[in-house]
Amino acid sequence: MTPGGLATRHSPSFGLIKAHFGLGLAGMLAFAGALLWHAPSIEGHFFQPALLGLVHLCVLGWFLPITLGAMHQMLPVVFEVPVRSERLAWAAWGVFLVGAAGLIVHLWLLRTGPGLVGSASLLFASLLAYVGNLVATLRRAKEVKLVGAFVVAALAWLVVAAVIGLLLAINLGMPFISGSHLEVLRAHAHAAALGFFGLLIMGVTFRLLEMFLVAYVEQTGPGVAALVLVNVALVALVVGSLLGAFAWLGPLAAALALAGVLAFLVQVARIFRARLRKRTDVAWWHTGASFGYLVAAVLLGGALASSRVDAALTVRLELAYGFLALPGFIGSVIVGQLSKIWPFLVWFHTFSAYVGLKEVPTASELLPEGRQRAQWLAMHAGYGAFLVGVLLPSVAVRVVGAVAFALSALVFAANMLKVARSRP
Amino acid sequence: MTDPTPAKAAARPDVEVMADLKAALHEVLDPETGVNIVDMGLIYDAQYFPEDRSVEVLMTLTTPACPAGDAITGGVQRRLERVPGVDAVRVQLTFEPRWTRDRISERGKDELGRR
Repeated sequence: MTPGGLATRHSPSFGLIKAHFGLGLAGMLAFAGALLWHAPSIEGHFFQPALLGLVHLCVLGWFLPITLGAMHQMLPVVFEVPVRSERLAWAAWGVFLVGAAGLIVHLWLLRTGPGLVGSASLLFASLLAYVGNLVATLRRAKEVKLVGAFVVAALAWLVVAAVIGLLLAINLGMPFISGSHLEVLRAHAHAAALGFFGLLIMGVTFRLLEMFLVAYVEQTGPGVAALVLVNVALVALVVGSLLGAFAWLGPLAAALALAGVLAFLVQVARIFRARLRKRTDVAWWHTGASFGYLVAAVLLGGALASSRVDAALTVRLELAYGFLALPGFIGSVIVGQLSKIWPFLVWFHTFSAYVGLKEVPTASELLPEGRQRAQWLAMHAGYGAFLVGVLLPSVAVRVVGAVAFALSALVFAANMLKVARSRP
Repeated sequence: MTDPTPAKAAARPDVEVMADLKAALHEVLDPETGVNIVDMGLIYDAQYFPEDRSVEVLMTLTTPACPAGDAITGGVQRRLERVPGVDAVRVQLTFEPRWTRDRISERGKDELGRR
Protein backbone atom coordinates (compact mmCIF):
# COMPACT_ATOMS: atom_id res chain seq x y z
CA MET A 1 0.00 0.00 0.00
CA THR A 2 1.35 3.36 -0.92
CA PRO A 3 0.80 5.90 1.83
CA GLY A 4 -1.48 8.77 0.90
CA GLY A 5 0.18 11.81 -0.56
CA LEU A 6 1.13 14.65 1.73
CA ALA A 7 1.67 17.94 0.04
CA THR A 8 0.61 16.62 -3.30
CA ARG A 9 -2.86 15.74 -2.14
CA HIS A 10 -3.28 19.46 -1.50
CA SER A 11 -1.84 20.62 -4.81
CA PRO A 12 -4.23 21.99 -7.43
CA SER A 13 -4.45 20.37 -10.86
CA PHE A 14 -1.31 20.62 -12.97
CA GLY A 15 -3.46 22.20 -15.70
CA LEU A 16 -4.13 25.27 -13.55
CA ILE A 17 -0.43 25.79 -12.94
CA LYS A 18 0.42 25.18 -16.59
CA ALA A 19 -2.19 27.73 -17.68
CA HIS A 20 -0.60 30.38 -15.46
CA PHE A 21 3.01 29.54 -16.37
CA GLY A 22 2.15 29.28 -20.08
CA LEU A 23 0.48 32.68 -20.04
CA GLY A 24 3.44 34.20 -18.19
CA LEU A 25 5.91 32.70 -20.65
CA ALA A 26 3.93 34.09 -23.58
CA GLY A 27 3.87 37.42 -21.75
CA MET A 28 7.65 37.34 -21.30
CA LEU A 29 8.16 36.72 -25.05
CA ALA A 30 5.68 39.47 -25.92
CA PHE A 31 7.47 41.85 -23.55
CA ALA A 32 10.86 40.96 -25.03
CA GLY A 33 9.52 41.64 -28.55
CA ALA A 34 7.85 44.89 -27.49
CA LEU A 35 10.99 46.06 -25.68
CA LEU A 36 13.06 45.43 -28.79
CA TRP A 37 10.55 47.16 -31.03
CA HIS A 38 10.20 50.14 -28.71
CA ALA A 39 13.86 50.37 -27.53
CA PRO A 40 14.80 53.28 -29.84
CA SER A 41 12.08 55.51 -28.34
CA ILE A 42 12.56 54.70 -24.64
CA GLU A 43 13.77 58.17 -23.72
CA GLY A 44 12.35 61.14 -21.89
CA HIS A 45 9.74 61.10 -19.14
CA PHE A 46 8.33 57.72 -18.17
CA PHE A 47 4.71 58.87 -18.46
CA GLN A 48 4.24 57.99 -22.13
CA PRO A 49 1.48 55.76 -23.54
CA ALA A 50 3.79 53.14 -25.03
CA LEU A 51 5.91 52.97 -21.87
CA LEU A 52 2.81 52.56 -19.72
CA GLY A 53 1.72 49.74 -22.02
CA LEU A 54 5.21 48.20 -21.95
CA VAL A 55 5.43 48.29 -18.14
CA HIS A 56 1.99 46.72 -17.77
CA LEU A 57 2.86 44.08 -20.37
CA CYS A 58 5.93 43.26 -18.27
CA VAL A 59 4.05 43.13 -14.96
CA LEU A 60 0.65 41.77 -16.00
CA GLY A 61 1.79 39.70 -18.96
CA TRP A 62 5.01 38.21 -17.64
CA PHE A 63 5.34 38.55 -13.83
CA LEU A 64 1.84 38.20 -12.47
CA PRO A 65 0.61 35.00 -14.19
CA ILE A 66 3.81 33.15 -13.23
CA THR A 67 3.71 34.51 -9.68
CA LEU A 68 0.04 33.64 -9.21
CA GLY A 69 0.61 30.16 -10.66
CA ALA A 70 3.57 29.62 -8.33
CA MET A 71 1.48 30.80 -5.36
CA HIS A 72 -1.27 28.29 -6.18
CA GLN A 73 1.37 25.56 -6.27
CA MET A 74 3.50 26.69 -3.33
CA LEU A 75 0.95 27.78 -0.71
CA PRO A 76 -0.77 24.38 -0.46
CA VAL A 77 2.67 22.75 -0.14
CA VAL A 78 4.07 25.17 2.43
CA PHE A 79 0.92 25.50 4.54
CA GLU A 80 -0.47 21.99 4.00
CA VAL A 81 -3.90 23.11 2.88
CA PRO A 82 -5.62 22.79 -0.50
CA VAL A 83 -6.48 25.85 -2.57
CA ARG A 84 -9.89 27.01 -1.29
CA SER A 85 -11.55 26.88 -4.71
CA GLU A 86 -9.84 25.70 -7.86
CA ARG A 87 -12.91 26.69 -9.88
CA LEU A 88 -12.58 30.29 -8.65
CA ALA A 89 -8.87 30.22 -9.56
CA TRP A 90 -9.76 29.17 -13.11
CA ALA A 91 -12.43 31.86 -13.35
CA ALA A 92 -9.99 34.47 -12.06
CA TRP A 93 -7.43 33.33 -14.66
CA GLY A 94 -9.93 33.80 -17.51
CA VAL A 95 -11.10 37.23 -16.32
CA PHE A 96 -7.49 38.26 -15.67
CA LEU A 97 -6.50 37.32 -19.23
CA VAL A 98 -9.23 39.49 -20.78
CA GLY A 99 -8.76 42.39 -18.33
CA ALA A 100 -4.96 42.47 -18.53
CA ALA A 101 -4.89 42.24 -22.34
CA GLY A 102 -7.47 45.03 -22.63
CA LEU A 103 -5.64 47.25 -20.16
CA ILE A 104 -2.25 46.82 -21.87
CA VAL A 105 -3.66 47.64 -25.32
CA HIS A 106 -5.66 50.63 -24.07
CA LEU A 107 -2.68 52.05 -22.17
CA TRP A 108 -0.33 51.52 -25.10
CA LEU A 109 -2.69 53.40 -27.43
CA LEU A 110 -3.78 55.78 -24.63
CA ARG A 111 -7.44 55.06 -25.36
CA THR A 112 -9.06 56.40 -22.23
CA GLY A 113 -12.73 55.91 -21.54
CA PRO A 114 -15.08 52.92 -21.20
CA GLY A 115 -12.68 50.41 -22.79
CA LEU A 116 -9.86 51.24 -20.40
CA VAL A 117 -12.14 51.43 -17.36
CA GLY A 118 -13.88 48.20 -18.36
CA SER A 119 -10.54 46.37 -18.76
CA ALA A 120 -9.23 47.79 -15.47
CA SER A 121 -12.47 46.72 -13.74
CA LEU A 122 -12.15 43.16 -15.06
CA LEU A 123 -8.54 43.06 -13.95
CA PHE A 124 -9.51 44.44 -10.54
CA ALA A 125 -12.28 41.83 -10.17
CA SER A 126 -9.91 39.00 -11.10
CA LEU A 127 -7.27 40.18 -8.63
CA LEU A 128 -9.85 40.40 -5.85
CA ALA A 129 -10.95 36.85 -6.69
CA TYR A 130 -7.34 35.62 -6.60
CA VAL A 131 -6.63 37.37 -3.30
CA GLY A 132 -9.92 36.22 -1.71
CA ASN A 133 -9.23 32.63 -2.75
CA LEU A 134 -5.64 32.67 -1.47
CA VAL A 135 -6.57 34.34 1.82
CA ALA A 136 -9.35 31.76 2.31
CA THR A 137 -6.72 29.08 1.62
CA LEU A 138 -4.32 30.54 4.20
CA ARG A 139 -7.08 30.82 6.82
CA ARG A 140 -7.26 27.02 6.89
CA ALA A 141 -3.54 26.69 7.65
CA LYS A 142 -2.67 25.43 11.12
CA GLU A 143 0.49 27.52 11.30
CA VAL A 144 1.35 30.58 9.24
CA LYS A 145 4.85 31.56 10.50
CA LEU A 146 7.13 34.19 8.97
CA VAL A 147 6.65 33.11 5.34
CA GLY A 148 2.89 33.35 5.79
CA ALA A 149 3.18 36.85 7.26
CA PHE A 150 5.11 37.96 4.17
CA VAL A 151 2.48 36.37 1.90
CA VAL A 152 -0.44 38.01 3.73
CA ALA A 153 1.28 41.42 3.64
CA ALA A 154 2.04 40.95 -0.07
CA LEU A 155 -1.60 40.14 -0.83
CA ALA A 156 -2.73 43.22 1.11
CA TRP A 157 -0.41 45.40 -1.00
CA LEU A 158 -1.73 43.74 -4.16
CA VAL A 159 -5.21 44.92 -3.20
CA VAL A 160 -3.87 48.44 -2.51
CA ALA A 161 -2.12 48.47 -5.91
CA ALA A 162 -5.27 47.18 -7.65
CA VAL A 163 -7.54 49.78 -6.00
CA ILE A 164 -5.21 52.67 -6.86
CA GLY A 165 -4.69 51.28 -10.37
CA LEU A 166 -8.44 51.19 -11.01
CA LEU A 167 -8.82 54.76 -9.75
CA LEU A 168 -5.96 55.89 -12.00
CA ALA A 169 -7.58 54.22 -15.03
CA ILE A 170 -10.84 56.05 -14.32
CA ASN A 171 -8.93 59.29 -13.70
CA LEU A 172 -7.30 59.15 -17.15
CA GLY A 173 -10.68 59.46 -18.88
CA MET A 174 -12.70 61.27 -16.23
CA PRO A 175 -10.28 63.27 -14.06
CA PHE A 176 -11.44 63.38 -10.45
CA ILE A 177 -8.19 63.04 -8.45
CA SER A 178 -7.46 66.48 -7.05
CA GLY A 179 -3.73 65.86 -6.54
CA SER A 180 -1.09 64.95 -9.10
CA HIS A 181 -1.82 61.84 -11.21
CA LEU A 182 1.92 61.05 -11.16
CA GLU A 183 2.12 61.12 -7.36
CA VAL A 184 -0.74 58.60 -7.17
CA LEU A 185 0.94 56.57 -9.92
CA ARG A 186 4.06 56.40 -7.73
CA ALA A 187 1.99 54.93 -4.88
CA HIS A 188 0.42 52.40 -7.28
CA ALA A 189 3.77 51.33 -8.75
CA HIS A 190 5.48 50.86 -5.39
CA ALA A 191 2.52 49.08 -3.80
CA ALA A 192 2.72 46.60 -6.69
CA ALA A 193 6.49 46.28 -7.14
CA LEU A 194 7.82 46.43 -3.60
CA GLY A 195 4.59 45.72 -1.71
CA PHE A 196 3.30 42.70 -3.59
CA PHE A 197 6.23 41.30 -5.55
CA GLY A 198 8.99 42.45 -3.19
CA LEU A 199 7.46 41.10 0.01
CA LEU A 200 6.30 37.90 -1.67
CA ILE A 201 9.75 37.27 -3.13
CA MET A 202 11.39 37.91 0.24
CA GLY A 203 9.13 35.52 2.15
CA VAL A 204 9.19 32.78 -0.47
CA THR A 205 12.96 33.08 -0.95
CA PHE A 206 13.51 32.06 2.70
CA ARG A 207 11.44 28.93 2.13
CA LEU A 208 12.85 28.02 -1.28
CA LEU A 209 16.43 28.51 -0.13
CA GLU A 210 15.83 26.16 2.79
CA MET A 211 14.10 23.60 0.58
CA PHE A 212 16.47 23.50 -2.36
CA LEU A 213 19.77 24.09 -0.55
CA VAL A 214 18.91 21.89 2.47
CA ALA A 215 19.48 24.65 5.00
CA TYR A 216 17.66 25.35 8.24
CA VAL A 217 18.09 28.44 10.36
CA GLU A 218 16.17 28.82 13.61
CA GLN A 219 16.72 32.56 14.13
CA THR A 220 14.43 34.66 11.98
CA GLY A 221 15.13 38.07 13.58
CA PRO A 222 16.48 39.75 10.42
CA GLY A 223 13.59 38.28 8.43
CA VAL A 224 11.05 39.75 10.87
CA ALA A 225 12.89 43.10 10.77
CA ALA A 226 12.74 43.07 6.96
CA LEU A 227 9.00 42.46 7.06
CA VAL A 228 8.39 45.35 9.46
CA LEU A 229 10.81 47.82 7.85
CA VAL A 230 9.61 47.28 4.27
CA ASN A 231 5.96 47.56 5.30
CA VAL A 232 6.57 50.80 7.24
CA ALA A 233 8.57 52.12 4.27
CA LEU A 234 5.67 51.35 1.95
CA VAL A 235 3.14 53.03 4.23
CA ALA A 236 5.35 56.14 4.37
CA LEU A 237 5.80 56.13 0.59
CA VAL A 238 2.12 55.58 -0.25
CA VAL A 239 0.83 58.04 2.36
CA GLY A 240 3.46 60.59 1.34
CA SER A 241 2.51 60.23 -2.34
CA LEU A 242 -1.26 60.36 -1.78
CA LEU A 243 -1.21 63.24 0.71
CA GLY A 244 1.37 65.39 -1.04
CA ALA A 245 3.97 64.84 1.67
CA PHE A 246 6.48 62.88 -0.39
CA ALA A 247 9.15 65.56 -0.10
CA TRP A 248 9.85 64.60 3.51
CA LEU A 249 8.28 61.11 3.71
CA GLY A 250 10.00 59.93 0.51
CA PRO A 251 13.58 59.98 1.85
CA LEU A 252 12.37 58.37 5.07
CA ALA A 253 10.62 55.62 3.09
CA ALA A 254 13.78 55.06 1.02
CA ALA A 255 15.93 54.76 4.14
CA LEU A 256 13.49 52.30 5.74
CA ALA A 257 13.27 50.27 2.53
CA LEU A 258 17.06 50.09 2.31
CA ALA A 259 17.26 48.95 5.94
CA GLY A 260 14.55 46.36 5.23
CA VAL A 261 16.33 45.04 2.16
CA LEU A 262 19.60 44.78 4.08
CA ALA A 263 17.85 42.88 6.90
CA PHE A 264 16.38 40.55 4.27
CA LEU A 265 19.85 39.96 2.80
CA VAL A 266 21.26 39.22 6.27
CA GLN A 267 18.60 36.50 6.73
CA VAL A 268 19.36 35.16 3.24
CA ALA A 269 23.09 35.10 4.02
CA ARG A 270 22.44 33.15 7.24
CA ILE A 271 20.40 30.54 5.39
CA PHE A 272 22.97 30.40 2.61
CA ARG A 273 25.82 29.85 5.06
CA ALA A 274 23.90 27.04 6.78
CA ARG A 275 23.25 25.15 3.55
CA LEU A 276 24.39 21.57 3.19
CA ARG A 277 24.15 21.69 -0.56
CA LYS A 278 27.20 23.70 -1.47
CA ARG A 279 26.99 23.94 -5.23
CA THR A 280 24.69 26.67 -6.49
CA ASP A 281 23.14 26.26 -9.90
CA VAL A 282 22.13 28.83 -12.52
CA ALA A 283 18.72 29.35 -10.93
CA TRP A 284 20.47 30.75 -7.84
CA TRP A 285 22.75 32.89 -10.00
CA HIS A 286 19.58 34.59 -11.31
CA THR A 287 18.37 35.07 -7.75
CA GLY A 288 21.75 36.45 -6.66
CA ALA A 289 21.75 38.88 -9.59
CA SER A 290 18.21 39.94 -8.71
CA PHE A 291 19.31 40.92 -5.21
CA GLY A 292 22.02 43.09 -6.78
CA TYR A 293 19.37 44.84 -8.92
CA LEU A 294 17.18 45.24 -5.81
CA VAL A 295 19.93 46.96 -3.79
CA ALA A 296 20.81 49.18 -6.78
CA ALA A 297 17.15 50.11 -7.27
CA VAL A 298 16.63 50.98 -3.60
CA LEU A 299 19.81 53.09 -3.52
CA LEU A 300 18.84 54.87 -6.74
CA GLY A 301 15.27 55.36 -5.49
CA GLY A 302 16.62 56.89 -2.30
CA ALA A 303 18.88 59.22 -4.28
CA LEU A 304 15.98 60.28 -6.52
CA ALA A 305 13.74 60.89 -3.49
CA SER A 306 16.24 62.95 -1.53
CA SER A 307 18.24 65.00 -4.01
CA ARG A 308 17.57 67.32 -6.90
CA VAL A 309 19.57 66.74 -10.04
CA ASP A 310 19.03 68.29 -13.43
CA ALA A 311 15.75 67.33 -15.13
CA ALA A 312 17.30 65.55 -18.13
CA LEU A 313 19.37 63.31 -15.86
CA THR A 314 16.40 62.71 -13.55
CA VAL A 315 14.23 61.25 -16.32
CA ARG A 316 17.04 58.89 -17.33
CA LEU A 317 17.62 57.83 -13.73
CA GLU A 318 13.89 57.24 -13.29
CA LEU A 319 13.84 54.97 -16.33
CA ALA A 320 16.90 53.11 -14.99
CA TYR A 321 15.19 52.83 -11.58
CA GLY A 322 12.12 51.23 -13.16
CA PHE A 323 14.25 48.86 -15.24
CA LEU A 324 16.34 47.79 -12.23
CA ALA A 325 13.23 47.15 -10.12
CA LEU A 326 11.03 45.40 -12.69
CA PRO A 327 12.90 43.26 -15.24
CA GLY A 328 16.04 43.45 -13.07
CA PHE A 329 14.86 42.44 -9.62
CA ILE A 330 11.46 40.82 -10.19
CA GLY A 331 12.15 39.37 -13.66
CA SER A 332 15.41 37.74 -12.58
CA VAL A 333 13.84 36.10 -9.53
CA ILE A 334 10.96 34.80 -11.60
CA VAL A 335 13.23 33.30 -14.26
CA GLY A 336 15.49 31.81 -11.57
CA GLN A 337 12.76 30.28 -9.45
CA LEU A 338 10.77 29.03 -12.44
CA SER A 339 13.96 27.21 -13.49
CA LYS A 340 13.70 25.30 -10.19
CA ILE A 341 9.93 24.88 -9.83
CA TRP A 342 9.01 23.92 -13.41
CA PRO A 343 11.46 20.98 -13.79
CA PHE A 344 10.35 19.70 -10.39
CA LEU A 345 6.65 19.85 -11.32
CA VAL A 346 7.24 18.16 -14.67
CA TRP A 347 9.39 15.54 -12.97
CA PHE A 348 6.69 14.94 -10.40
CA HIS A 349 3.89 14.54 -12.94
CA THR A 350 5.92 12.62 -15.53
CA PHE A 351 8.63 10.63 -13.77
CA SER A 352 7.64 10.06 -10.15
CA ALA A 353 5.49 7.02 -10.94
CA TYR A 354 8.60 5.30 -12.32
CA VAL A 355 10.75 5.74 -9.20
CA GLY A 356 11.62 2.28 -7.95
CA LEU A 357 10.75 0.67 -11.29
CA LYS A 358 13.53 2.06 -13.48
CA GLU A 359 16.27 4.64 -13.40
CA VAL A 360 14.85 8.16 -13.67
CA PRO A 361 16.69 11.47 -13.89
CA THR A 362 16.57 13.95 -11.03
CA ALA A 363 14.46 17.08 -11.52
CA SER A 364 17.48 19.28 -12.13
CA GLU A 365 18.79 16.92 -14.82
CA LEU A 366 15.76 17.74 -16.99
CA LEU A 367 17.21 21.18 -17.73
CA PRO A 368 20.71 21.11 -19.26
CA GLU A 369 23.08 23.39 -17.33
CA GLY A 370 24.83 24.68 -20.48
CA ARG A 371 21.63 26.08 -21.98
CA GLN A 372 20.76 27.71 -18.66
CA ARG A 373 24.18 29.35 -18.45
CA ALA A 374 23.80 30.73 -21.99
CA GLN A 375 20.38 32.12 -21.06
CA TRP A 376 21.73 33.70 -17.84
CA LEU A 377 24.58 35.35 -19.68
CA ALA A 378 22.38 36.74 -22.48
CA MET A 379 19.78 38.01 -20.02
CA HIS A 380 22.10 39.88 -17.68
CA ALA A 381 24.39 41.14 -20.45
CA GLY A 382 21.22 42.43 -22.12
CA TYR A 383 20.06 44.09 -18.90
CA GLY A 384 23.46 45.72 -18.42
CA ALA A 385 23.57 47.03 -21.99
CA PHE A 386 20.01 48.29 -21.81
CA LEU A 387 20.69 50.18 -18.58
CA VAL A 388 23.81 51.75 -20.09
CA GLY A 389 21.77 52.67 -23.17
CA VAL A 390 19.16 54.35 -20.99
CA LEU A 391 21.73 56.30 -18.96
CA LEU A 392 23.95 57.53 -21.84
CA PRO A 393 21.39 57.72 -23.59
CA SER A 394 22.18 55.64 -26.70
CA VAL A 395 19.68 54.03 -29.05
CA ALA A 396 22.26 51.58 -30.42
CA VAL A 397 23.28 50.31 -26.96
CA ARG A 398 19.62 49.97 -25.92
CA VAL A 399 18.86 47.96 -29.05
CA VAL A 400 21.85 45.68 -28.39
CA GLY A 401 20.57 45.16 -24.85
CA ALA A 402 17.02 44.48 -26.05
CA VAL A 403 18.30 41.99 -28.66
CA ALA A 404 20.29 40.11 -26.02
CA PHE A 405 17.29 40.04 -23.68
CA ALA A 406 15.00 38.85 -26.50
CA LEU A 407 17.46 36.03 -27.26
CA SER A 408 17.57 35.10 -23.58
CA ALA A 409 13.76 35.04 -23.45
CA LEU A 410 13.67 32.73 -26.47
CA VAL A 411 16.27 30.39 -24.92
CA PHE A 412 14.36 30.43 -21.64
CA ALA A 413 11.08 29.54 -23.37
CA ALA A 414 12.85 26.80 -25.34
CA ASN A 415 14.33 25.45 -22.08
CA MET A 416 10.93 25.37 -20.41
CA LEU A 417 9.44 23.65 -23.47
CA LYS A 418 12.23 21.08 -23.47
CA VAL A 419 11.50 20.29 -19.83
CA ALA A 420 7.76 19.99 -20.58
CA ARG A 421 8.52 17.45 -23.31
CA SER A 422 10.69 15.24 -21.10
CA ARG A 423 9.56 11.62 -21.10
CA PRO A 424 10.75 8.60 -19.06
CA MET B 1 -5.26 -31.31 -9.16
CA THR B 2 -4.24 -27.66 -8.84
CA ASP B 3 -2.06 -26.48 -5.98
CA PRO B 4 -4.25 -24.00 -3.98
CA THR B 5 -1.24 -21.88 -2.91
CA PRO B 6 0.33 -19.49 -5.43
CA ALA B 7 3.69 -20.48 -6.80
CA LYS B 8 6.53 -18.73 -4.98
CA ALA B 9 10.12 -18.18 -5.87
CA ALA B 10 12.57 -20.52 -4.28
CA ALA B 11 13.17 -19.53 -0.65
CA ARG B 12 16.26 -17.31 -0.14
CA PRO B 13 18.27 -16.98 3.04
CA ASP B 14 16.94 -14.08 5.14
CA VAL B 15 20.35 -12.47 5.27
CA GLU B 16 20.47 -12.30 1.46
CA VAL B 17 17.02 -10.74 1.26
CA MET B 18 17.96 -8.18 3.93
CA ALA B 19 21.12 -7.25 2.01
CA ASP B 20 19.10 -6.80 -1.17
CA LEU B 21 16.54 -4.69 0.66
CA LYS B 22 19.26 -2.43 2.02
CA ALA B 23 20.80 -2.05 -1.43
CA ALA B 24 17.37 -1.39 -2.94
CA LEU B 25 16.64 1.41 -0.46
CA HIS B 26 19.94 3.02 -1.46
CA GLU B 27 18.67 3.15 -5.04
CA VAL B 28 15.73 5.42 -4.19
CA LEU B 29 16.91 8.99 -4.61
CA ASP B 30 15.63 12.32 -3.40
CA PRO B 31 14.46 13.78 -6.75
CA GLU B 32 15.89 17.25 -6.08
CA THR B 33 19.23 16.55 -4.44
CA GLY B 34 19.92 13.20 -6.06
CA VAL B 35 21.11 11.79 -2.71
CA ASN B 36 19.67 8.41 -1.73
CA ILE B 37 17.05 8.34 1.01
CA VAL B 38 19.12 6.18 3.36
CA ASP B 39 21.98 8.67 3.45
CA MET B 40 19.43 11.48 3.71
CA GLY B 41 18.36 9.82 6.98
CA LEU B 42 14.76 9.27 5.91
CA ILE B 43 14.63 5.57 6.83
CA TYR B 44 13.95 5.02 10.54
CA ASP B 45 13.53 1.25 10.41
CA ALA B 46 13.16 -1.60 7.92
CA GLN B 47 12.21 -5.12 8.94
CA TYR B 48 11.83 -8.31 6.98
CA PHE B 49 9.35 -10.94 8.16
CA PRO B 50 10.36 -14.31 6.67
CA GLU B 51 7.16 -16.04 7.79
CA ASP B 52 5.02 -14.11 5.29
CA ARG B 53 7.91 -12.70 3.20
CA SER B 54 6.84 -9.13 3.93
CA VAL B 55 8.77 -5.95 4.58
CA GLU B 56 7.80 -3.11 6.86
CA VAL B 57 9.50 0.26 6.41
CA LEU B 58 9.16 3.10 8.88
CA MET B 59 10.31 6.31 7.27
CA THR B 60 9.96 10.06 7.30
CA LEU B 61 10.31 13.03 4.97
CA THR B 62 12.39 16.15 5.45
CA THR B 63 9.15 18.00 6.18
CA PRO B 64 5.47 16.96 6.23
CA ALA B 65 5.04 19.43 3.38
CA CYS B 66 7.76 17.77 1.29
CA PRO B 67 6.54 18.16 -2.30
CA ALA B 68 8.27 14.94 -3.27
CA GLY B 69 6.53 12.92 -0.54
CA ASP B 70 4.42 10.74 -2.85
CA ALA B 71 7.29 10.14 -5.22
CA ILE B 72 9.65 8.99 -2.47
CA THR B 73 7.25 6.74 -0.55
CA GLY B 74 5.85 5.32 -3.78
CA GLY B 75 9.38 4.73 -5.01
CA VAL B 76 10.27 2.80 -1.84
CA GLN B 77 7.16 0.67 -2.23
CA ARG B 78 7.79 -0.15 -5.89
CA ARG B 79 11.52 -0.77 -5.50
CA LEU B 80 11.17 -3.11 -2.52
CA GLU B 81 8.39 -5.07 -4.23
CA ARG B 82 10.93 -5.97 -6.89
CA VAL B 83 13.34 -7.60 -4.43
CA PRO B 84 13.33 -11.41 -4.88
CA GLY B 85 11.88 -13.09 -1.83
CA VAL B 86 9.54 -10.23 -0.95
CA ASP B 87 5.78 -10.66 -1.39
CA ALA B 88 4.41 -7.62 0.42
CA VAL B 89 5.69 -4.18 1.36
CA ARG B 90 4.20 -1.87 3.96
CA VAL B 91 5.57 1.69 4.05
CA GLN B 92 4.66 3.63 7.13
CA LEU B 93 5.28 7.36 7.34
CA THR B 94 5.98 9.09 10.62
CA PHE B 95 7.01 12.55 11.74
CA GLU B 96 7.89 11.47 15.28
CA PRO B 97 10.66 12.27 15.69
CA ARG B 98 10.85 15.02 13.09
CA TRP B 99 13.68 14.75 10.59
CA THR B 100 16.61 17.08 11.19
CA ARG B 101 19.74 17.62 9.15
CA ASP B 102 21.69 15.72 11.83
CA ARG B 103 20.18 12.55 10.40
CA ILE B 104 22.10 12.95 7.13
CA SER B 105 25.04 10.55 7.02
CA GLU B 106 28.60 11.77 6.46
CA ARG B 107 28.44 10.25 2.97
CA GLY B 108 25.17 12.10 2.36
CA LYS B 109 26.72 15.37 3.48
CA ASP B 110 29.69 14.80 1.20
CA GLU B 111 27.37 14.10 -1.70
CA LEU B 112 25.22 17.15 -0.97
CA GLY B 113 28.36 19.25 -0.88
CA ARG B 114 29.16 18.19 -4.43
CA ARG B 115 25.65 18.75 -5.83
